[in-house]
Amino acid sequence: MGAIVEVKDFSFKYRDARRRAVKHVNFSVEEGSLFAIIGANGAGKSTLCNALVGLIPHYFSGARAGKILVDGSDVADSTIAELSKTIGLVFQNPFNQLSYTAGTVAEELAYGLGNHGVPRDKMVERVETVAKLMRIDHILDKNPLELSGGQVQRVAFGSTFIMEPRILVLDECTTQLDPMGSEEIFDIVKKLNASGVTVIMVDHDMERVARYADTVMVLERGEVASIGTPMEVFSDDSIEQHGVDVPDYVSLSRALGGPIVITEEPAIEMAKEALR
Amino acid sequence: MTVELRDLEHIYPSGDIALAGVTLTLEGTDPVAIIGQNGAGKTTLVKHFNGILRPTSGSVLIDGVDVTSHTTAEWSRTVGYIFQNPDDQLFLESVRKEFGFGPKHIGMDSDVIEQRIGTVAELVGLSHKLDTHPFDLTPTEKKFCAIGAVLMMDPSVVIFDEPTCGQDRKGTARLSHIISSLRESGKLCVIISHDMKFVTMNCPRIVVLCHGTVLLDGPADEVFAQPDILRRSFITPPPITRVGQGAGLKETVFSVPAFINAIATERNARG
Repeated sequence: MGAIVEVKDFSFKYRDARRRAVKHVNFSVEEGSLFAIIGANGAGKSTLCNALVGLIPHYFSGARAGKILVDGSDVADSTIAELSKTIGLVFQNPFNQLSYTAGTVAEELAYGLGNHGVPRDKMVERVETVAKLMRIDHILDKNPLELSGGQVQRVAFGSTFIMEPRILVLDECTTQLDPMGSEEIFDIVKKLNASGVTVIMVDHDMERVARYADTVMVLERGEVASIGTPMEVFSDDSIEQHGVDVPDYVSLSRALGGPIVITEEPAIEMAKEALR
Repeated sequence: MTVELRDLEHIYPSGDIALAGVTLTLEGTDPVAIIGQNGAGKTTLVKHFNGILRPTSGSVLIDGVDVTSHTTAEWSRTVGYIFQNPDDQLFLESVRKEFGFGPKHIGMDSDVIEQRIGTVAELVGLSHKLDTHPFDLTPTEKKFCAIGAVLMMDPSVVIFDEPTCGQDRKGTARLSHIISSLRESGKLCVIISHDMKFVTMNCPRIVVLCHGTVLLDGPADEVFAQPDILRRSFITPPPITRVGQGAGLKETVFSVPAFINAIATERNARG
């Protein structure tokens, strides 16, 4: 499989900003892989998400250089509506994602499908399937504005996923969920990924990044500071200088004097060994 | 400062039971975490501490005084609530005005206000942004602006609702610093969070809510030693704790140094 997303020497400065949010960023994402973007706040993570789905340049104006190809087409030459068939974004703040025109959760979920002219019976079927999957089938008749943060996050996720995009971009999409709720969402993400959907995710939870990602890219002040497999990135002992945490398992394995481990199971094995 | 809840019930107009009889006393200066699944009643619970919400039945006493005897505005000097979403809280044209608004409103002396603006701005890391419009702050800075505005009132109880949401390594470290400074100056911090690493690093006492009742309440090491009960409220212990439990470590640990010590202790005990 080849690259489904290619970012080539991309730079962007928001209209009223003093400095560029991202500069000379290069990377590509293999089709079907799970690609994680990490970095301190202000490093340019959300800017990249906005650029990947075409909100830059079609919604946010500013000075742009380089190009972003999604499935071979330049995002600048496609409309957001066209792009939304291929690539979908789940926003960091789920309240920013609501249409504010839908009276119920069911309408909110169906909103994008309606815009694409999907027939009504097909629409109803998709809404039911997605609502069940996201465990929001009991609130389909509620007003989206009356939901809790966690519920809105599930609705936001569902309304993106319902479009069946080939690429899912997740910008810290579980910050409002309890620990098991986030795990549940990531189990769904993992299943979608296994069925061929390419996933690009921004996350501050390094244990989760280490567990799920095929590739990790570290951004620092708009530039790529490091890129590689989770093991390559997290075992580099200079990585914390770029403003990111490492999974606790890394610090533990260092303290135990063993080889670096980045996930729970090998950390448990190592700890058992140390206890013997 | 003591916050005492007696048989607190809250039923929403829709008929949904948010709190089904909570009896709880929060006192002293050790930060308390309130954790539990989405919809467990965490935010509903703390919104009773300053009268934003009124009990359907039962009572809330602040240092023995029933909260319903004063308005929320009056309680804001005693109990500060930092909203989860700073946009719900900020509305003036500079950080300085945002900080000065509440204190001016309760008649705090202007010299005291000036002096407090300096101290609070430094604590929340906004000394260089006092004349900035809150809308020009980054999302992280907005959160710290909202925290600063509440701390300006010098409340005895400070409630943080999901403070680490959207924070990076640096922001989380600053939050820990703010909480420990408040504790040293005799304040009681109450923290609602889904971030178990943050909770165990900052809060000696943990209250677990589940379906509007208290499922567990006690020292962090005792609460997190019961993963099976925690699962009922969709909580999983933090990563280091899970590794310890998975490896059969007897002590419940929350940090790498504690983990290493516990291993040494157990090996020594065996001789």
